[in-house]
Amino acid sequence: MKNLPTTCPSCSSKLAVKRLHCEKCETEVEGLYSLPVLASLSHDDQEFILEFIKASGSLKEMAAIFKVSYPTVRNRLDDVILKLKQDAKTK
Amino acid sequence: MNLTHDRKLTTLLFNPFVYIAGAPALGLGLAAILLAGLIGSWGHTHFDGVLDTHIGARAPLGVFLAEGLIDWLCLGLVLLIFGKIISKTSFRTLDLLGTQALARWPTVFISLVSLPKALQRFSQELLEQLTKPGAKIVINPWDALIFFAAMMVMLPLLGWVVALMYKSYSVSCNVKGGKAIGTFIGGLLLAEIMSKVAVYGLLKFT
Repeated sequence: MKNLPTTCPSCSSKLAVKRLHCEKCETEVEGLYSLPVLASLSHDDQEFILEFIKASGSLKEMAAIFKVSYPTVRNRLDDVILKLKQDAKTK
Repeated sequence: MNLTHDRKLTTLLFNPFVYIAGAPALGLGLAAILLAGLIGSWGHTHFDGVLDTHIGARAPLGVFLAEGLIDWLCLGLVLLIFGKIISKTSFRTLDLLGTQALARWPTVFISLVSLPKALQRFSQELLEQLTKPGAKIVINPWDALIFFAAMMVMLPLLGWVVALMYKSYSVSCNVKGGKAIGTFIGGLLLAEIMSKVAVYGLLKFT
């Protein structure tokens, strides 16, 4: 499946969902829905958050899984938190 | 995921703290500091300041070992305070002190480079030139050549240590940019003064 675009290629504004489609019964729903907060993150950041949850929020475990140091993982998490805060401010 | 960095040689040499921090870094770093002190005692190489290396004076082994530990603690504690002030996130003291200890590992090479007796002889000859002005002092050209060759190796090694110290500060405290560089330089100068005073006190005591 293709990556979900979150910003407008023309003006760089945040995109919203206008149409949803059921692959099974072909039903389509139209409206104006905002994208989930985590969708604004890059694919890498989303994967990082997913792994973080799977590791029960343990930075030590994350460091062991990815064979990097504890501060490297923590700095990456700090970067993601900063992005989410900045995103919340722009809304 | 990008977190699994390729273990590039440049990263391992200049920013190993991406992979190692905390207690393992502290253990390896302390071992390297003590090894540098031990080898330094054979060649009378003193690390008598965070950024200082001097060859010459004889001293008990304990002095050589303590000098490296003083240098590490002075810079570690100063950067810990600066990091607490400027970092926007929390960080572990163990990471900063551990990576600062490991940042000193190239001092082992500095101690090894300082081993040839020619360096001690030339240092002594230079000292005599300074302390006995006007006196006729014979300088062995081979000693001078070996001394300058050793200096040419030591200077890049010292630069490497400083680069590692900065990376340790940046990674452990999660600080970047001008603020990080400015506080690092200030911290380095402050720690240099502190370590000089502490080493002077140590030498006076012994």
